[in-house]
Amino acid sequence: MEVIKRKIIFIAVMLLISCSSDDYEDIVLDNFEIELVVPSYFPQWNPAALNNKPTKYGVQLGEKLFTDKRLSKDNTISCSSCHIRAYAYADDNTQAIGIQQRAGLRNTPPIQNLLFMKFYNWDGSKLSLENQPIVPIITHEEMDSSILEVIQKIKNDISYRVLFQKAFGDESITPERIYKSIAQYEYTLISADSKYDRVMNNKEKFTSQETYGYSIFTQKCAGCHSGALFTDQSFRNIGFPVNHNSNEAGRARITGDSKDYMSFRVPSLRNIEYTAPYGSFGQFTSLKEVLDYFDAGVLYSDNLDTIFKNNSNRIVLSEEEKEALIQFMKTLSDTRFISK
Amino acid sequence: MKNLKKYLLLSAISLAIVSCSNDDGSSAANNVTLEFANTFKEKTIVLGGATSTSATVNVSAEGQTHHFSELKYVISNIRLVKNDGNEIPYNANDLDKGATVINQAKPETLNYVLNNIPKGEYKQIKFGLGVRSDLNTLDEVRFPVFYAAAGANDTEMMWEWGTGYRFTKIEGFYESDNKEMSIHTGSTIEDGDDGKQKQGVDAYRDVTLNLPENAVVGSLSPKIVIKADFDKLLSGKSNTIKLSTGTGSDDNATPNIHTAVQMVKFVDNLGGNGTSDISGMFSVVSVK
Repeated sequence: MEVIKRKIIFIAVMLLISCSSDDYEDIVLDNFEIELVVPSYFPQWNPAALNNKPTKYGVQLGEKLFTDKRLSKDNTISCSSCHIRAYAYADDNTQAIGIQQRAGLRNTPPIQNLLFMKFYNWDGSKLSLENQPIVPIITHEEMDSSILEVIQKIKNDISYRVLFQKAFGDESITPERIYKSIAQYEYTLISADSKYDRVMNNKEKFTSQETYGYSIFTQKCAGCHSGALFTDQSFRNIGFPVNHNSNEAGRARITGDSKDYMSFRVPSLRNIEYTAPYGSFGQFTSLKEVLDYFDAGVLYSDNLDTIFKNNSNRIVLSEEEKEALIQFMKTLSDTRFISK
Repeated sequence: MKNLKKYLLLSAISLAIVSCSNDDGSSAANNVTLEFANTFKEKTIVLGGATSTSATVNVSAEGQTHHFSELKYVISNIRLVKNDGNEIPYNANDLDKGATVINQAKPETLNYVLNNIPKGEYKQIKFGLGVRSDLNTLDEVRFPVFYAAAGANDTEMMWEWGTGYRFTKIEGFYESDNKEMSIHTGSTIEDGDDGKQKQGVDAYRDVTLNLPENAVVGSLSPKIVIKADFDKLLSGKSNTIKLSTGTGSDDNATPNIHTAVQMVKFVDNLGGNGTSDISGMFSVVSVK
């Protein structure tokens, strides 16, 4: 009898516990991991993303922060002021423009397929996306704020408190959670539905000019713009006109290696149609200008990429080839991505 | 009644013990002041603008005249070493309580007081020029005081793009036409999330200095005078540097020092290379 009583009490206690944890579970279960649709031929995830997988509310929170002007000192710009969807989350300025029209050092990079990148920023200064959002928040030429200033501004906003609760289990607003949720949102910005992708999946066909462009591309460009993202994610000095701002050294300012001087990450060519101007500080207004420059010959330097060094510092292209290449590059445009 | 007496006695005894240990406390620990004397060889540095006539002018081994208009550096991870070799860290993991920006333009920053150093005889001091990588994350929540001090408009000891602190910031002029020199150092180290990928340059330098005589802490609160000889910037134990102005990767005078390419040479001169040179430009001139 005694044993039975104990059992009943035990069960009752268990019931109570499970009741209370049910409430909690509801939230956790509701905040499910978002299933990301990724073509099989895309590269592996950045390892940091495996520890910060996008969840329903994490992404909602990240998007809200991404578009919140309170991240800047004078509440005039948000991440999305420069990372504009219609431009594949880049913009059309030569160099980024921060608060009070302050000009930044470099061209705004598009935010797409970051889930698969090993490096972030043109010089690859960050290896994890979670380490990135603090940079524009504190940089004088960008948002010129601080993370505590941001938290101070949003902490009494009930809609944020609800989202932090839903995304992370309680209302507390921490820098780490801000960085993580912005990264989660950015991870979901996957562009994989271009005409090129549909051609690869035998759903569409290239025009004859695109086919010709693709063959030129394979011969003359794919050495660097390789793989599903059309970048081998290496850093190269390809002899573009140099940014003489004394803060600029390309990847060398990170590595301290003179071989990296004025080297930049090979850009993905996906949605390249939408991300003009081109070059680390917007040296070229159009793709045609870039190709003309390659054809005419690039600037020589000791650490010029060997592909150029071995070809008299140029990529020889006929006008016909340039036009075909541009048509091929336009097949990398993902209209759904820029308008979703 | 008996009990009450017991309690009273016990309280009296414990009070006595407490007050005893308190007494010991006042002579068991005391302050140590670090005084930083920033010099060109033996001359104290006077800052000045391009055409200043009062600024201290130095001549490098390469024969280049130069003077500074701004001179700042970060000291952290301070440890005092006792005679018996025991190391006493001073808030080594807390930038708010254990790190400071030395600024030649602000005399009050040239003396840094270490509070409550345990009684004893100390023979050596160790400190970092810059901030250790594990603490160099611009963590405003963890270290709001240091973050604010380093980020202030008149300090500018933050390297936004590297999300770390500037370790040294020197502005000045060189040669007769007063070309600008701007030398900034800081770490660019970054590890990937899986620990497999690593990149960047560590500009933190651990400095070890022997004291000319033991610093005796107890009833006395000694002052350790540390000379930072900025003659070594260009004419150091590791590198003899010739400044050049221009836009190439070898031009080192203008702030392409931000580029880690040229920076390490200056870092090794200032803080030592960590192997054959563990003192860099620093030495202890006296213990008072």
